[in-house]
Amino acid sequence: MIPAFALVLGIALGLFVDPTVPLWLQPYLPIAVVAALDSVFGGIRARLDGIFDAKVFVVSFVSNVLVAALVVFLGDQLGVGGQLSTAVVVVLGIRIFGNAAAIRRHVFHA
Amino acid sequence: MTAGMLSSLLEDTLDPAYAEAAARRGDSADAPRSRRLPLVIGGLLVLGLILGMAYADTRAAAPSSERTRQALLADVQRDSTRSAELQARLEELRATVAEALDDALATTEEGRQQTERVRQLESATGVLAVEGPGLVVTLSDAAPEETVDPISGETIQLVPEAGLVLDIDLQAVVNALWAAGAEAISVDGQRLAPTSSIRTAGEAILVDFRPVSSPYLVEAVGNPDLLVPRFAGSQTAARYDAYRQLYGIGFELTQAEQLSLAPATDYDLRYADTATPAPGVGTK
Repeated sequence: MIPAFALVLGIALGLFVDPTVPLWLQPYLPIAVVAALDSVFGGIRARLDGIFDAKVFVVSFVSNVLVAALVVFLGDQLGVGGQLSTAVVVVLGIRIFGNAAAIRRHVFHA
Repeated sequence: MTAGMLSSLLEDTLDPAYAEAAARRGDSADAPRSRRLPLVIGGLLVLGLILGMAYADTRAAAPSSERTRQALLADVQRDSTRSAELQARLEELRATVAEALDDALATTEEGRQQTERVRQLESATGVLAVEGPGLVVTLSDAAPEETVDPISGETIQLVPEAGLVLDIDLQAVVNALWAAGAEAISVDGQRLAPTSSIRTAGEAILVDFRPVSSPYLVEAVGNPDLLVPRFAGSQTAARYDAYRQLYGIGFELTQAEQLSLAPATDYDLRYADTATPAPGVGTK
């Protein structure tokens, strides 16, 4: 319950305190969002599977965001940023869908 | 990407690290979980912050770009309306001045002669609207073809580059018309004065800084018995006839019984001054 509150509090802070995103960070924000969503769904699924681990969750979240941003950054420097962003979104999107399906099976048993 | 990688991507959606950590931990999973609660809370807080920031950022950016666009559009529309109003007012005032000039000069024989001369000069230089028989040359871009946009990959309608009418094409046709004996010419309704320009700016063609678009209607007033055969027999006409067959651009000649051309919009001389002012006649 408390972690869920933390999530909501974080969203509320982002929305209402409205911290300005530095310009150089802006291209990576969408990718960070997808990576973050992937971590959330992965965490929830692990929790339902009974194998949730806080360290794995935090480390995978941070490294996902960083690696995704790094891949896009490299892509931007090499002129294939758009395509690599798509690749990151596709791979993480598939994982989000898979995890969401697993969560659905846990919750509804269907 | 091999089939194995694809299937592992589709099936192993949960990070394998969770399973490994669980295996390492064995069954005593409860104790460390409560100790690490702050870690989870911190992680989720940051995660929520990213989501919230992204949402706020997107929400702030979208309307601002749309607002800018709308404001620019409104500016353009307001200014072009204003420009048209001023243009109409200018023409009105010029007519008044011309009338007053006529009245003032009509009292003497010399004045009437001068008026006649001024009229002729004004018609020749595009100051006055003229009408008369002549020739209409219609130039237009070739029909668009279906091409795949190299960036978005979408199928779009695009005029092939060789089929585009450029400023030099309009210039060539206009020059050939002058050479064929045209007395007044307008391009898409823009009357040409001696100082008029036809040039490209970006993807548009500007005649005296006003945009014209395909099909380009080049109207020329002149003696049709001379103008039509001379232009039709010119090298320029032959060249554009060839372009029509080769690249599919539109090139059409129509003889007109009655054309009326509006006055030119911009013919101010900034540097040239009348050398010996004719007595009693202000030309403008």
